[in-house]
Amino acid sequence: MRPDVYALSAPDAIARRPLLEGTPSTLLGVLALAASSAWGLCAAEVLSAPLARAVAAGAAQGALMATAVGWTIESQERARPIWAAGAAIVALVGAIGAALSPLGAIAYLLAPLWFWRRRARLPALGLRSPYPARLTAIGVALGAVLGAHLTITASLTLGYRVGWPALLTLLPWLGYDLGANVLAAECFFRGALFDRAQRRWSFAAAAAVTTGTCLARYLADPLLPRTLEVAAGAAFYIGLLSVGNCWLYWRSGSVVPGLAAGVVFFIVYRLLHVVR
Amino acid sequence: MLVALMLAAVTALLAGLEPAPASAWRHLYFVPVIVAAVRYGVAGGVLAGLGAVLLSGPFVLSEIEHAPSPRAVVDGCVSFAVLLAGGAVTGSLAARAARQRRRYEALLAAQRAVAEPAPLAIVLGRLRAVLENRLAADRLGLVAVDTHGVTVCGADRLDRASLAARVIESGEPAFLPDTGHERRACRVLVVPLTAGGVTVGALALERHSDIAREERDAVAGLAAALGLALENARLAARQRRFGDELERKVAEATKRLAEMDRLKSELVALASHELRTPLTAIQGFSELLATRSFSLPEVRRVADIMRAETERLGRIVADFLDIARLERGLPLALRVARLDPAPVIADAVEVFRRTRTSHRLELHLDGALPHIDADADALDRVLKNLISNALKYSPAGSCIHVRARSARGGVVVDVEDEGPGVAVDDLTRIFEPYYRAPSTARLERGTGLGLAVVKSLVEAHGGTIRAERAAGCGTRMTFVIPAVS
Repeated sequence: MRPDVYALSAPDAIARRPLLEGTPSTLLGVLALAASSAWGLCAAEVLSAPLARAVAAGAAQGALMATAVGWTIESQERARPIWAAGAAIVALVGAIGAALSPLGAIAYLLAPLWFWRRRARLPALGLRSPYPARLTAIGVALGAVLGAHLTITASLTLGYRVGWPALLTLLPWLGYDLGANVLAAECFFRGALFDRAQRRWSFAAAAAVTTGTCLARYLADPLLPRTLEVAAGAAFYIGLLSVGNCWLYWRSGSVVPGLAAGVVFFIVYRLLHVVR
Repeated sequence: MLVALMLAAVTALLAGLEPAPASAWRHLYFVPVIVAAVRYGVAGGVLAGLGAVLLSGPFVLSEIEHAPSPRAVVDGCVSFAVLLAGGAVTGSLAARAARQRRRYEALLAAQRAVAEPAPLAIVLGRLRAVLENRLAADRLGLVAVDTHGVTVCGADRLDRASLAARVIESGEPAFLPDTGHERRACRVLVVPLTAGGVTVGALALERHSDIAREERDAVAGLAAALGLALENARLAARQRRFGDELERKVAEATKRLAEMDRLKSELVALASHELRTPLTAIQGFSELLATRSFSLPEVRRVADIMRAETERLGRIVADFLDIARLERGLPLALRVARLDPAPVIADAVEVFRRTRTSHRLELHLDGALPHIDADADALDRVLKNLISNALKYSPAGSCIHVRARSARGGVVVDVEDEGPGVAVDDLTRIFEPYYRAPSTARLERGTGLGLAVVKSLVEAHGGTIRAERAAGCGTRMTFVIPAVS
């Protein structure tokens, strides 16, 4: 049976939620304080540099995940601050675990598990069935094409060469991409930011805002090598990946295709390890 | 697929030309980009442009690597920008042309949908099916408003507080970026359907993809044309309805005229017979009186018969004259005076008691009757007509009851017989001129005017008359004449 037309059958009484409603401001302040404290302690040689970097990176990923949870959790949910804190904690635990030992990178998988178990309460992320299988396949193809293009282009030009990394080197990166990098990006930039933006503006405007913010996040990442060609390449490929993922979310209402695209892109990128 | 093959072919060509200068050959990428833009619009143009950029990227970067110079970098960047911009601009122009074409096609299809005569709800359903496809809507609803009410297509009803109701009230289009109820954002556009500056309905379009401003304006323009088409269809439907109604009324009138004609023909035959019977009697007896000698008692008896037949003749003629007056819209001539109805009723009953010994006649006067303003002759005619009918249509030996009482603010008189009675369906029709109930017509001859005249006389006195089946069997005629207040 076809659903009734909303404009005819329902009272026109939509109370539009403010763009930043649900932001866990206090938690973000705490995370910022934790990151700056870690750097301070590192400067004072109280904390080792890898651990300080892990705390800072975990805080940054945790901030993105916590904000995504705060924005996407059902509006009547009273446990919003607790859930946001939970997301930040699993991100921090993953980062610190990976910093302590290569096998500790398994702790990154806590975050996907945490989101999976709470998927029913986070409807905007679209982690519940039915899953958009066709669009997920398109996401896999998008990630594979962009990743392959990146590595091929890099291998053909500017003196970069493609190599195969050792498994112990690869695994922490895969854990990071799966449990922190891609997950945080898709949950925040697509499931939270783009979802709110597309409900206010056209796809082009919403995708532009989201992609701009996403690019800013990656270009500001201390892990990105500080060379012009790498920055340009990152902007180009992350920009394309972001626009593609925005389109996938727009069509599906789910972050699953975007997650697939991001994970495949970064897996290809890590597998075909570029060396100079 | 064609575009992908063309992109692959250009890339293969460039790869084959390496390490020759590829700059000029890169312009070949324009061909698939333009083809994609023309076929698939902005998205196709941009995607093909992007594909061309991705495919030509390694060649451009390789050139920059081999001869690093600002000129080479600018050349490569301009190549990329031109491919993307070319795809976007060409796609935009192609999309605009396609939108215009779709708009005209939608208008044409909509006009076809409303052209075929049908009830409004069906017309709206047809329009919806046409527009839903043409406007690429996920959901589409239509509302038509007129003096008869609201017709809705696309929902069970029109909510008074809905966006469409607001648009119909204001006459201004409304756009909502999202309904807020779905997993995917759903845009809503509601535009008024107008005809002659009046809002006659609304069109609601809901879609999970964007509705650009230009498209919103186009839909508003389409809605204005649709409003006019819908109004024309409605006027045509109304005209058809009037035509059908007129045809039905003419058919009914023709049927009634034919029936009247048949009844009048029957009446002429009947009247000839009814008039001839007393005339024959008068003629026969007058010839006897003229040609033979009779004793005085015999002369009186013959004279009584002749007088009775003359009176009968007079009654028939009076009935015809009264009906003729009524049919011409003239009132009956009455000489109204204040009178006590009891003696008039008693005299009428007494006349029949003396002359018709085959039946028993019983008069019941319940208490004193109030005075009435009436024509004594007319009242006498009413009573005699009703009693005469009761005598005619009831078996010999049965009893005719005449009751008079004061009730309902007047004098109520019942004349009840013990005959077979009138069929229920005929109880109201027996007061129509020329009408004779089939069940009684075969028992006695008559003009079918008596009860029509009786009814007119009673009503001329401000009274009412009705016929009903009496308890058990027979018919009871009851008339009421208002008492003097």
